[in-house]
Amino acid sequence: MKKRGVGIASVMFGFGYGEGFPDHSTASIRIKPDGRVEVKTAAADVGQGVLTVVSQIAAEILGVPVESIDLVNGDTAVTRSSGSTSATRQTFFTGNAVMNTAQILRSIIFDLAVKVYGKTYPELYFENSCVVPHGAEEKKISFAELAKIAAERGEKLEAEGSYFPITTPPDPSNGQGERVYVSYTFVTTIAEVEIDLGTGQVEVIRMVAAPDVGQAIHPQNVEGQMEGGSAQGIGMALMEEILFDEYGTLLNPNLSTYLIPTSLDVPRMQTVIVEDEEPLGPFGAKGIGEPAMISTAPAIINAIYNACGVRIKELPATPEKILRELKKLAAGN
Amino acid sequence: MGDNRLMIKVTVNDRLYELQVDPELRLVDLLRDELGLTGTKEGCGKGECGACTIIMNGKTVNSCMVLAFQADGSEILTIEGMGDGEELHPIQEAFIRQGAVQCGYCTPGMVLSAKAILDKNPNPSEEEIRKGISGNLCRCTGYQKIVDAIKDAAEVMGGGGDER
Repeated sequence: MKKRGVGIASVMFGFGYGEGFPDHSTASIRIKPDGRVEVKTAAADVGQGVLTVVSQIAAEILGVPVESIDLVNGDTAVTRSSGSTSATRQTFFTGNAVMNTAQILRSIIFDLAVKVYGKTYPELYFENSCVVPHGAEEKKISFAELAKIAAERGEKLEAEGSYFPITTPPDPSNGQGERVYVSYTFVTTIAEVEIDLGTGQVEVIRMVAAPDVGQAIHPQNVEGQMEGGSAQGIGMALMEEILFDEYGTLLNPNLSTYLIPTSLDVPRMQTVIVEDEEPLGPFGAKGIGEPAMISTAPAIINAIYNACGVRIKELPATPEKILRELKKLAAGN
Repeated sequence: MGDNRLMIKVTVNDRLYELQVDPELRLVDLLRDELGLTGTKEGCGKGECGACTIIMNGKTVNSCMVLAFQADGSEILTIEGMGDGEELHPIQEAFIRQGAVQCGYCTPGMVLSAKAILDKNPNPSEEEIRKGISGNLCRCTGYQKIVDAIKDAAEVMGGGGDER
């Protein structure tokens, strides 16, 4: 016989290194002679999309199409530290560093444009890699021309900026602190499972996850992070366990013995992006890397309890464990 | 080496190669190291992850599990043969459009498994797609955007439309 159940779980996740540990990111941006925008950052993009996010941020502030951003990435000869791609921190830390740098560069560009036009900031705006005077659009001047003017004057259209917030260590007696993390990401996951009571096999048949990312700078990538994190969460809940023998020899070192979810183990998932703007985030954004997987396993474990009354307290919830607990339940203990 | 090398003829991405190969050389190494086609990735090297998937005589194989001499006389398609060097293949375009690539390591194998699925059935159901890529592990995406990309490609390539 098969039984179904639904479970829910939420996570509150402080991102960045936090706890008073120094944590910062530095970026630099310049207008190249051809008018394209070069963004230098050492933020490592391992597929999560930080370089897409920082390109969007720089493009937004400097009024250029995202296609005219050139990235210089992770080269110790030319980039300063952006910190690690870990702790769910790159969108927030390097995003903020690039935002701060783009704002400095914006003021440098406007400063030069004011000298060229003899007009002040509110009378000028950016559009399509040009500085444009309000009401005299035909007098617009491209970034390429402005870079040339800057070079003739011995000036550079270039800026460097960083983001370096302060956090405080928690009191070891109670874990409380003034500002242990800069901010927190919240995720709620709802899972529906079907359990075969004869075999103890659990199938996740539906999953909905709602991440509060502050502001989704690239919604498709937020979904990608959530779907991937949730799939890892399914593995954590039901399959993945490193096994050692008594001598410490790894018993399941292969992908045929340490099982991770395949396309057949993962249901169609729904991501409901919640946008409650974080005032400290770049355009209100927060990180989503790690919290994407944390609420998945408890939601599935709760769904198993809801389906058959068995409370699994040690992951993964393998068929063997579930059958053992079902027998205990039937025996009345 | 030398004495016991075997002569093989193999067509890779429509180009015929006549090669002397060591009997122990794996197909994945022939492709990557001898032909320079490094788009094919080696993951586990044991036929468990699908990263090295290529199409050989119309069927997907793990190129780490095939010896190079076994490919004698065969026609092979690798990721380099999907586009024409200028334009990407519609399946590759769909992967980009749907955000189906994260770290990218499984992507060449996924794209070739996708092609094999669509060659067999230009209008596959979600279940058929999920079965078709079940030998290709992906740790980043949760598979959903890959499934969506294959559906998208099916529609663009003339199948699709049928919500089975």
